[in-house]
Amino acid sequence: MSALFRNKIFITILLIAIGIGGYSFMFTDEIDFNADVKPIFNKKCISCHGGVKKKSGFSLLFPAEAFGPTESGKTAIVPGDPDASEMIKRIKHHDPEERMPYKEAPLSDEEIETLTKWVRQGAKWGDHWAYVPVKQQTVPKLKRRLFGILPSPYTDWVKNDVDHFVLDKLKDKDLEPSPEADKHVLLRRAALDIIGMPAPEGIAKHFLANNSPNAYEQLVDTLLSLPSYGEKWTSMWLDLARYADTKGYERDDVRKIWRYRDWLIKAFNADKPYNVFLTEQIAGDLLPDATDEQFIATAFHRNSMTNDEGGTDNEEFRTAAVLDRVNTTWDVLLGTTFACVQCHSHPYDPFRHEDYYKFMAFFNNTRDEDTFGEYPLLWEYKHEDSVKYENVVKWFRQNVSEEECGNVIQFLKTRQPSINSLTADSFVNGELADTKWLALRNYSRARFRNVDLTNRERLLMRMQSWVPDGKLEIHLDDPAGPLLTSFIVPLANKGWMLHEVDIKPAQGKHNLYFVYQSAKLEKDRNGMMFDWLTFTNYLPGKEKPGYDSAVAGFFHLISKGDAITTPVMVENPVYMQRKTQVFERGNWTAKTKEVQPNVPASLNPFPKGAPRNRLGLAQWMTDKKNPLTARTMVNRVWEQLFGTGLAETLEDLGSQGIAPTHPELLDHLAYQFMNDDNWSVKKLIREIVLSATYRQDSRVTPEALEKDKFNRYYARGPRVRLSAEQMRDQALAVSGTLFPEMYGPSSKPWQPDGIWNSPYSGGEKWENTYGPERYRRAVYTYWKRTSGYPSMLNFDAMQREVCAARRIRTNTPLQALTLLNDYAYVDISRQFAFGLQKEYSDVNASIAAAYEKATGRPASSERMAVLQSLYKEALAKFKKDADATCEMAGLQDEHNKPETAALIVVVHSIMNLDEVITKP
Amino acid sequence: MEPKDKIYQEAKQRSLEYTTRRHFLKECRTGIGVMALGSFLSGCDWLSTKKSATAAAFDVNNPLAPKAPHFAGKAKSVIYLHMAGAPSQLELFDYKPELTKMHGQPCPQSFIEGKKFAFIRGVPTLLGPQAEFKQYGKSGIWLSNNLPHFQTVVDEVSLLKAVTTDQFNHAPAQLLMHTGSARLGRPSMGSWVTYGLGSENSNLPGFVVLTSGGSNPDAGKSVWGSGFLPSVYQGIQCRSAGDPVLFIKDPEGMDRDLKKASIDAINAINKSSYEEFGDPETLSRISQYEMAFKMQVTVPEVMNINDEPQYIHDMYGTKPGQTAFANNALLARKLVEKGVRFVQLFDWGWDTHGTGPDGSLGIGLINKCREVDKAMTALLLDLKQRGLLEETLIVWGGEFGRTPMQENREGKQNGWTGRDHHSDAFTIWMAGAGIKKGFSHGETDEIGYNAVTGKVSVYDIQATILQQLGFDHEKLTYEFQGRPFRLTDVHGKLINEIIA
Repeated sequence: MSALFRNKIFITILLIAIGIGGYSFMFTDEIDFNADVKPIFNKKCISCHGGVKKKSGFSLLFPAEAFGPTESGKTAIVPGDPDASEMIKRIKHHDPEERMPYKEAPLSDEEIETLTKWVRQGAKWGDHWAYVPVKQQTVPKLKRRLFGILPSPYTDWVKNDVDHFVLDKLKDKDLEPSPEADKHVLLRRAALDIIGMPAPEGIAKHFLANNSPNAYEQLVDTLLSLPSYGEKWTSMWLDLARYADTKGYERDDVRKIWRYRDWLIKAFNADKPYNVFLTEQIAGDLLPDATDEQFIATAFHRNSMTNDEGGTDNEEFRTAAVLDRVNTTWDVLLGTTFACVQCHSHPYDPFRHEDYYKFMAFFNNTRDEDTFGEYPLLWEYKHEDSVKYENVVKWFRQNVSEEECGNVIQFLKTRQPSINSLTADSFVNGELADTKWLALRNYSRARFRNVDLTNRERLLMRMQSWVPDGKLEIHLDDPAGPLLTSFIVPLANKGWMLHEVDIKPAQGKHNLYFVYQSAKLEKDRNGMMFDWLTFTNYLPGKEKPGYDSAVAGFFHLISKGDAITTPVMVENPVYMQRKTQVFERGNWTAKTKEVQPNVPASLNPFPKGAPRNRLGLAQWMTDKKNPLTARTMVNRVWEQLFGTGLAETLEDLGSQGIAPTHPELLDHLAYQFMNDDNWSVKKLIREIVLSATYRQDSRVTPEALEKDKFNRYYARGPRVRLSAEQMRDQALAVSGTLFPEMYGPSSKPWQPDGIWNSPYSGGEKWENTYGPERYRRAVYTYWKRTSGYPSMLNFDAMQREVCAARRIRTNTPLQALTLLNDYAYVDISRQFAFGLQKEYSDVNASIAAAYEKATGRPASSERMAVLQSLYKEALAKFKKDADATCEMAGLQDEHNKPETAALIVVVHSIMNLDEVITKP
Repeated sequence: MEPKDKIYQEAKQRSLEYTTRRHFLKECRTGIGVMALGSFLSGCDWLSTKKSATAAAFDVNNPLAPKAPHFAGKAKSVIYLHMAGAPSQLELFDYKPELTKMHGQPCPQSFIEGKKFAFIRGVPTLLGPQAEFKQYGKSGIWLSNNLPHFQTVVDEVSLLKAVTTDQFNHAPAQLLMHTGSARLGRPSMGSWVTYGLGSENSNLPGFVVLTSGGSNPDAGKSVWGSGFLPSVYQGIQCRSAGDPVLFIKDPEGMDRDLKKASIDAINAINKSSYEEFGDPETLSRISQYEMAFKMQVTVPEVMNINDEPQYIHDMYGTKPGQTAFANNALLARKLVEKGVRFVQLFDWGWDTHGTGPDGSLGIGLINKCREVDKAMTALLLDLKQRGLLEETLIVWGGEFGRTPMQENREGKQNGWTGRDHHSDAFTIWMAGAGIKKGFSHGETDEIGYNAVTGKVSVYDIQATILQQLGFDHEKLTYEFQGRPFRLTDVHGKLINEIIA
């Protein structure tokens, strides 16, 4: 045998061996449904065989439908038997009429192979990672080198568990972690992330001088304890809550809901456990003995829009608000896109069309009805009336039953339950004035449907009346039916007033016909108008001493109590409950089958014994078995700190979202968040910012950039442009202008003229504030939905018409124009320069200090040279131009000097630097 | 060359220019160290390979880079003239002699049964046309005497006389017209176009909005908002009073030289930062500052109409120094001339309910027509004489139409002649960029209540506009909340009848 021949045999044997090895390797290689199969289904099959269309009765969304018989009677997938599986036959078919995907390019050989193998291996269905409960993760260990003789080179680098997970992936990507960043950098980075602006001077100095090994840890703890922490994290939450100071839609009139913003700040600062934080926002009103604060928390879902435009259908916009609450809950709290389920079953994820409406049923029984007054409101009495309120409540507490007292308190706080007059119908000679209030003319009538009168004694109404002789009759079930009450309507032409009359006893629910006449009325003139009305009882405790004064106090409070009012959630009493029906293809006018409140079957079960209302829903969301709540929040916090989430699509952890880069880390943090840390957001932030991963230097080499352009594997520290809010707050803080007043109504800092040019603004105008309030933090800036604060919009702030689970950062010339030319930044630079001049007599010292304050580190000589040369050029210019000097320095005598004007230009330029507007 | 071949050649050329440019710019990254930080760096395509679910179709670092459409479109630019408040088709375009005969009669039940109106209640009376109609041009299209100038150019346009919408309130109807949804939150047409095409002129925004009539449209800035698209694609409102674009003017006391010195200093330090940190965002920022500096010159220049010759001013009837539709129409021409893709004009005040003289058909409507008739005619002629009408699509219309009935409110007739909001039939006209000339499409019934033939929806108009720009409206999509969204949602049919 020639050597050549032997070699050939050898090679052949080798090839066969490799072939067998490869084959058996392929054979034993388990196909993973989520990683390998689901992506093919989603891309190639599901548009015809999914949640929207189920061609031939075959869908790949739920196992029951995938493995069940199809319309043709053939079974598409027979686990273990590819040859018997119609799906496999059809993807391989040679006849294009028979081959799937129908009329599309055939699947690649690789894809066919994957699917065939998957079927052969038993067609194991896998649940998507985000829909299975979070499990405790094993923290990867450091690998020792040289057969275990030497310790890992990263022993000193690692700070906590986060780093182990990160290191593991870095190794896969052949990347080396970066060393810890310089102290100045750490200080500025942590402060911007934790409190949204640079650290106060004292804290900064202390940290830089502190040589203790846990100096950084101490810094983080100090920052987390500052009140400004709550402000920073609230600005993030406001996008999720679609918070605005206006109602939205055409009129976009004022809404007073800033108490909710303040609630958030306090809740973050108190580190309210996230499960409680959510429960109060979803269902605070349903908690036993709900406090005012818990009611305020429910304003979360009263941030949906209200339509004041005349001629609009209030039920349509009430429904729109309810749908918005469903979508917001899923989008921002559960990281799942649910809006598509409104019209049809989810195209990619295991949610059925009906699931949407079952879920909506939780939200469909609140008292709000798109009223102009945005009822229900919470009345928080202030000044003397808060004392009066306490006294009235005290009297009832002492003198009547707990239940009776509860009703009194609820009415004092919320004016509920009551009937909004815009729910009237069957008008004759009357109508809803501007589609907002029931208005009646001479010989007019209107109907209120299904009003429960069981054991009621009185009718209390909020109304106006323009004639003194109007007569109102209320008939049961027919315009000529039995009379419930009849009375002369008093003149009330100075705005809304409360009026109360007796009614005859009646039981059960009735349609009420309001019949009105007035001899004094000209044809076509309104005689009276209703805001709301309620059938009620005499206040309890009649026989007890002090009753009259308690009653007087009660009426004083409900008619003219001095209070801050905030839209909140109040649940319908049983007798006012709405039923919820499925909307055919999402159209609210096409109501079909009735459904009961429930959660999708594909997620954790509804907790046993939990009430089928928003409170039960909150329990379900914050159940540790809920797979989405903790993951969504952890992912969001990570995104705030690193610029991108562990799963990039914060709003969609579903199968169409981008898969997490570090699923184990995400689950590890989520598990720890729920269990060890008892849902503490501060502990979560602390854990992440104390990691070596977070502390890394953010400088990047071209090679590392090539390997990981977007720093998804964290071989360097996060370097991300500041948010609109951080940008403003930082400028205020470093310039020394920051006005630290917390809480209260929003402020209107400087914005260019003519921005609010909408046809109807409820008479409100943007008047620039000139006092120190113009230097309040961004979180207090008045937000008009149809016309947001322009400089913040230019930096990717959201309009907040609907919730925004995530901002996408852009980099545009308009941003440059904003920082270069917005008067607000000129003004801040000016104040900054004035302060520097007071502090330093030498201009170079002023420039150096400005740079250091703005960037958190001393200026290099190269940078100083650039700034000094700019100063010189500006100075020469201003020396020759007294007018320009005066304009730049802001007309103030003592500052009207070329030196000051030139320093302002330099300071202003510093505020524009990339390193200033970027987290280091 | 056959026109068809010419279109093909153009498309090829465009595509070629595009790829060449991309190629060239990609190369420039290697030479970054030695290259002066010149203006063409603005296009340096550092992150062209960035892919993510939401950012697949644009480059975050140069989101306005010019892009090729799906096919060669006839239109390079669009000028959309929106008469906010909804002009009455019955006093302008849709001649209904029968309605004159039936004037004053109660509206037949069949028309109002089951219908909802914004204000009308009970049984209103029919209102005959409050204008004189005649046929004009070679096409013999009927027009009213409210549009004496437009009569002369009617042979340039296609009328759509049977447009329908499903919204009868201003804000939702305007939103539907411009964003494809009556609810807030979707991107506007101009945003979609800018997202799809980028901007031809890097010194000007790709999508410009001009408003007149004393107020912004009812739906606010959302009608030119970018919705879920990145904010860079939103319309930039240019204003004729105050700064033409927000923050475009240098701060007081800072002249151009000083601004240049300031930007040079900023960019010199930013360059050091780039050397230190190696962050590509910093490079992009450097070019954005350069572009901002240039925009500060180009935007006020293009927004300044004072240098236009007198005959142009006379033609448009401009009112220099004021906010006027005529000025905006002239600006629209200047902007498309400079390569702006989408110019959106909103003129407020067309809501003629008859509740007062300004809102009446007898006075208010005539005044509004006087404000726009001459200027919109001039715009057509001006574009034509510059050869730009061939590549500029003009669209004119409101958000809905007006009822054939006199409006009553709370059961009583309004004091002035006026009509309520009407969603079942109204008129929009289009011209230029491959639209038929002197053509009328669609008919309404004898009183102008319902569309009878040639009925088109708002979505059909959107689909047709995108088509003329070179887009298949079903394919211009953006991934959001787990699904691809498009301007026309699940609707839209091309109006082939008006395409030449």
